[in-house]
Amino acid sequence: MEALIEKLKEQIIKQLNLEDITPADINEEDSLFGEGLGLDSIDALELIVLLEKEYGIRIENPKDGQKIFFSIKTMAEFIQEHQKK
Amino acid sequence: MMLAPTYIDGSGAVVPQPTVNQDKFLEEILEYNERFLQVVSPVYKDYIDVKLLRRMSKIVKMSIVSAQVAMQQAGVDQVDAIMTGTGMGCQIDTEKFLNAMIENGETLLTPTSFIQSTHNTMGGQIALMLGNKNHNLTYVHRTFSFESALLDAMMMIAEKEAQKVLVGGIDEITDESWLIKTQIDYYKKHACKNSAVYTDLQPGALSGEGSAFFVLSADRSEKTYAQLKGVSTLYKPRSNKELEDFIKRFLMTNELGLSDIDLVIMGNNGDPVFDRIYEDLATGLFKTIPTGRFKHLCGEYDTASSFALWIASGILRHQYVPSTISQHPFDRKTPKKILIYNHFRNINHSLILVTTPDAS
Repeated sequence: MEALIEKLKEQIIKQLNLEDITPADINEEDSLFGEGLGLDSIDALELIVLLEKEYGIRIENPKDGQKIFFSIKTMAEFIQEHQKK
Repeated sequence: MMLAPTYIDGSGAVVPQPTVNQDKFLEEILEYNERFLQVVSPVYKDYIDVKLLRRMSKIVKMSIVSAQVAMQQAGVDQVDAIMTGTGMGCQIDTEKFLNAMIENGETLLTPTSFIQSTHNTMGGQIALMLGNKNHNLTYVHRTFSFESALLDAMMMIAEKEAQKVLVGGIDEITDESWLIKTQIDYYKKHACKNSAVYTDLQPGALSGEGSAFFVLSADRSEKTYAQLKGVSTLYKPRSNKELEDFIKRFLMTNELGLSDIDLVIMGNNGDPVFDRIYEDLATGLFKTIPTGRFKHLCGEYDTASSFALWIASGILRHQYVPSTISQHPFDRKTPKKILIYNHFRNINHSLILVTTPDAS
């Protein structure tokens, strides 16, 4: 799980071009949207593509997104449960 | 066609030379020995919110900075219209998006590079940052793109549809586009010193990129330092005579003769074949007028004439001709009337006339 969280942090920084942010700056339990990392709806689309491209996981119900993308930790837990690759 | 007076109140440029936050006006230039010239990036964070910055490609960032510099110089925080000209638009994001399409078999496409890949992204992003919902148009007419935007801005002012217009020309270079254009001899294949570009014998031009924006105004104010008198274009002249007649007619329309022009800034780009047209004019029609060149500073790109206008208006503002652009030491009185002549492979020819605010 630890390794997956670190990998996710790096992938998100790269995919979303989060300049000046290092994996150490991201707390795995902080919210990704709003006050936490400050991501927005376009980033949400980027994260959906990242999940499918890197982990082969497709989010069937968009309503689940809010729960899955709450934090790095919730994302990692979701990946661990559904990983196909 | 002679239009109503159009004044230049502010200008900003991001090009392969230091032009942002500079006290000196092109007194020293950067020397390169490269395949193509790339812009000197200002500290973008000083101009753009970092949250917005991360989604912006180079062309968007350099547009916003040059537009902001122009608006700060003009002392305005809003304009009645935004006009942009770009020959190739957002090439980096277009390539990113198309490459992702190929790599992922037309699936899993990310939104950011798609959103940023359209030609009107620069005009749109500037409007978003200003909260400007006024007229916003982007012209994409290869090397007539900037001239078209400029002419539209002048016409809007002449028809009293706008008092202040932000107008700019922007293009960026990528490895891919450079490679494609070297295959058809548009650009030089091997590295070339920009300071020696006009004597380089390789086919094609030294390519480059840049962005230049201007705040045009219907009224003269304490911020005004130049007047834009006219813009004209000529497509595929059949002979040198047709080209010369076009130049003479343009000056006549603006009630000027050749002897009234203090300086001609020409668009030589180091292409041994097509630079001959400039050389013929320099030793012919323009033989009694001092001439200057500018593409050793920025390289060739579709909207390079916007940087020539930035230089011309800068000369009128600073009241001197930098030795880095003049072909021979400028020994006349302070320049008042400057003609910009540019052409692209003898296809698109354009003229821009800029003068001191009070010049008749």
